[in-house]
Parts: sequence; structure tokens; C-alpha cells
Amino acid sequence: MVPVTDRPRRHVAPTAAVALSYRVVLRQLTSRSRIIGLSLLALVAPISAFALGSADASLDDSVRLIASVGLGLVLPVVALVFAGAAIGDLRDDKTLVYLWLRPMDRWPIVVGAALAAGTLAAPITMAPIVLAAALTGAGNGIVVATLLATVVGLVAYVALFTLFGVWLKRFIVWGLAYILIWEGFIAQAGAGVARIALRKYTRSVLVERTGADLDLADFSLAMAVIVPIVVAFAALAVAAWRLSNQDID
Amino acid sequence: MTGLPPPRVGPTPPVGALPPPVTPMLQGMIAVNAVSKFFGSVVAVSDVSFAIDQGVTALLGPNGAGKSTLFRMLCGLTPPSRGTVEVLGANPRTDRDVRGRVSLVPQQDALFDHLSASEFLEFAARSHAVADPDGAARHALELVDLTEVGSKPVGQFSKGMRQRVKVAAALVNDPEVLILDEPLAGLDPVQRRHMITLFHRLGDDGRCVLVSSHVLDEVAKIGSRVLVIAQGRLVASGDYRDLRELMDDRAHRIRLAASDPRKLATALVERGLVSGLSIDDRNVMVDTLDVDAFGRQVAALSVELGVRLTEVAPLDDDLESVFRYLVEGR
Repeated sequence: MVPVTDRPRRHVAPTAAVALSYRVVLRQLTSRSRIIGLSLLALVAPISAFALGSADASLDDSVRLIASVGLGLVLPVVALVFAGAAIGDLRDDKTLVYLWLRPMDRWPIVVGAALAAGTLAAPITMAPIVLAAALTGAGNGIVVATLLATVVGLVAYVALFTLFGVWLKRFIVWGLAYILIWEGFIAQAGAGVARIALRKYTRSVLVERTGADLDLADFSLAMAVIVPIVVAFAALAVAAWRLSNQDID
Repeated sequence: MTGLPPPRVGPTPPVGALPPPVTPMLQGMIAVNAVSKFFGSVVAVSDVSFAIDQGVTALLGPNGAGKSTLFRMLCGLTPPSRGTVEVLGANPRTDRDVRGRVSLVPQQDALFDHLSASEFLEFAARSHAVADPDGAARHALELVDLTEVGSKPVGQFSKGMRQRVKVAAALVNDPEVLILDEPLAGLDPVQRRHMITLFHRLGDDGRCVLVSSHVLDEVAKIGSRVLVIAQGRLVASGDYRDLRELMDDRAHRIRLAASDPRKLATALVERGLVSGLSIDDRNVMVDTLDVDAFGRQVAALSVELGVRLTEVAPLDDDLESVFRYLVEGR
């Protein structure tokens, strides 16, 4: 052991801290059962789209299916399970102390965890949802629109649910309540309430890129892309602040 | 300031009508000043003050006494509701640099189970920005005697091995302050001995090592410097042998083995050397308030009586006795 005298002060650089958090959270989140379960859920989108495509559905019907099943259910649920667990699981199993009690800032921990969640959620959501768009048979426009909407939605949902995982003990329950009750029910009640539901922005991307007729999707493309990104940054900033100030077990 | 302040026993005296005296802030590698912690209406830690420096100090208290809450505050994992905590002169909750100079072995059995022991320690070293994480991980594995199983996932380890991994992870950054919450739980006797030796070596190297336990036997081996906490209050601090000496109002119990215990007992009562006694076939158990006078006179008395005295054994200068007195009042 080195004698305790005049030791150099050490701290972990933010990029290294992001990498550390990313690595450990990625491995922590990678469970076979979780990936298989969510992949099966995601298959709902292409299966529904195949059925719709076989019936020669209209563009509006195809966009509605992608918006409701792909972007309204599969995308947020998969993002919730991974992003909520990214820090929520560490806090629940009390391993968060091994990242928290280190000479590093807290925001890289949050960013690394969100990136890890996004890394796992991206293939499980994007591939089947974009495949679903293709299977509707409504043309290339809906595929590109779906890809863009999925990317935007994924970024926003992952950040938002990472915040849920940091802040809330029962993040899955609260997350499902947000997805199913707020976005799926309350936000449908009117344009005003819908403004504070991410689903409205992903729907707007679809409508702007395809020209389809869809309710509660009247934002411009710029607004529909920028606002979710801003929400994502804000959510990560709040999550980092919360992580710095909360009690750790 | 080096080590603990002079021994102190019992709760703080009640303050009368006069304004409270200005208490100087305690200084040390760990300095805890008038710290309380409330969880809602529950008082987990109440007005605790102490300062410790290098060497090994044991924090003793029954389960639920507030040891882990106190440790969490020392590491900055939770802020005190009142008072201040300083570790190496800084607030451990807000000072990033100090977190690199402190290590905690948490009580909970939580590890990244998918990582091997080597990977876990390497991760711990990297997260402390250690220059040679691989080397630090290898060295820490050696210290806890786990080199041969370093490649196995910690999820497959026994409780004792996991405990040693946690201790190793706390050593990778060569900390100046080491806080260990029940680190001997789950270890076999050989490993306990090994760990206690390691703690002493770390203390001798100039580190401040604070170890908690609710097992008296362990604490007596860990170190004579103790902080005793009960129901969230610091009820005593100092060398536990000194603490025992300070308990003037309580009789010392001594066992005497003698060839004629009845004769010896009668003489002890006649000379007023004991406040109480009991006799069996070979032994006299005596209670005495003046242990020094008793020690000076008992040998001479047995010679005078022609009684062969084969053993004089104090029965309550051990830590258990001190602890029982402080915590349970008996």
C-alpha cells in the first residue's frame, strides 16, 4: 500500500464516466427474458401491419396503425422497460452506490445509462416498427416517416423514462400509467392536453411526412422533431439533478 | 487531533436555564458535529458528535441503532438533517474529490452479479480513476485471498466471498478513509481473522478505518477504540477498557478460585472489601466497588488465612459487559 501522504487528487473525466456507466448498465439490462419478452411484444406491430396490408388498407389506416400500435404502444413500452430500469434497477438492487460514490459528476452516469437503454431499445423497436410500415404496403413515404418518428420518439421516451427510473420507485407502474392513461386516454381528449404528450409529436411527424389525415397531429415537422429533443435534454438534466440530490441506499 | 477524544460515557447532561456553552467544532479525518437524521417522525441518529483520525475504530451498536444511517451520512449518501459531517475536511455529499479518497463497504449484499470478481474490481478501479486499474484489481484480489477465483462471476460466489469482493472493491483506490459496514458478516473464522489483520494493517499505514458491528466479540478483536451507539445516540466513545473504569457506580465482578472459598469469603466480608458475593464448591464470586484496594489486599489476605488462591479473574472488564451497561443499563 502507498503511504497516505500527498496523494494526487483523482477524478473521472465525463467521457470516461459515460463509458463506465454505459458498459455496466448495458450488461445489467441485458437479460435474455427481458429481450425475448419485449421482442415478442414488438412483433405485434408487423403482424398487425401484415394483416392490414393484406386487406389493401388506405394510407390513413396504415398511418393510424403505425401511430397507435408502433409509436403508441411498442415504442414507449420497450423504452420504459429499458430506460426505467437503467438506473431504477441499480437503485432497487442497491448497486447504484458503486457509481454514485465515485469521484465523478452525476450527469455522465445518467447519460451513460440512457445511452445503454437506447442501445437495447433501438433494435427491438425500430426494426419491427419500420418493418410494419413496409408491410402496410402504403409506399416508401410511410417507411421514411416511421423511421424518423421512431427515432424522435425513442430519444424522447428513453430520456423521459430514465428520469422516471431515477425519480420514482415504481417506475414501471408510473410509466405505464403515463403511456396508457395519459397518452392513451386523457391526451386524446383535446389538443391542449395533447401538447404535453409525446405521442402527439410522433404522430405529427408521420402526418407531416405522409400527408395522411390523423387526429391530434397538427404540429409542423420542425416542431415535432425539436420539442421531443428538447424534452429529452430537459429530462436528462432533471434526472442528473435528482440523482445528485437524492438519498442513496 | 489524533484518535478519539477522552472517553465519555452516558448521554449529554441536561442544559439548564443558562445559554448552552459554545462547543468547539471537532476536527479529524472524520468529524461529526451535532449530527441528527430524521426520516419523517423517526429519529434515526440524534445529536451525535465525534472525531476520529488514523487507526482502526469500531462502531458498536445493536441492530437498528443507527450505525448504517451514520455511515451513509459519512459517505454523503444521505445528508444529515442537522449538524455537519466532514471527511478529510470536506463535505462528502458535495465534494467530488473527497469521494475518490473514501471507500465504503456497504452492508447490503449488492454486487454486479454478471461481472467476474476481476471485472468488478477493475470497474471499481476505473470508476476511481486509478492509473493502473488492472494492477489495482489484481492487488486487491490478493489482499482478500480471492486471486484463484477472480475469473468467476460474483453471482456464483458464496456470501463470504462476496463480502471479500466488496472489501477488495473498497481497497482498489487506496483510500485514506475506509468505512466498513458489518464487513465480517458471512465470513468464516479464518477469513475473519485475516480481515481483522488487514484492517489493522490499513490503520497502521495511516488510514482512518471505521468498522461497524453488532457482534461484541468481533469488535473486541477489531480494536479497543470504540464508539457505542444505541437508539441513535452516541452513548460512549473511547477505549472500552477506559470506559469500564469510568463506570464508578457499578461494582466490578471478580471470580476467585480458592482452596477454601468459604473461609476466604467470610474474611472478605469482615474486612469490608466486597459489596456482594456468592460461593460454590471452588469459587467465590465477589462484587467490589474499589477494585484497586481489593487487588492489593486479596493476595495478602489469602496468605494470612492459609487459603491457596489459584485464580483471580475479572468477569466484566470485557466489551460485552461495557456494552450491556451502556445500552441496556445492567
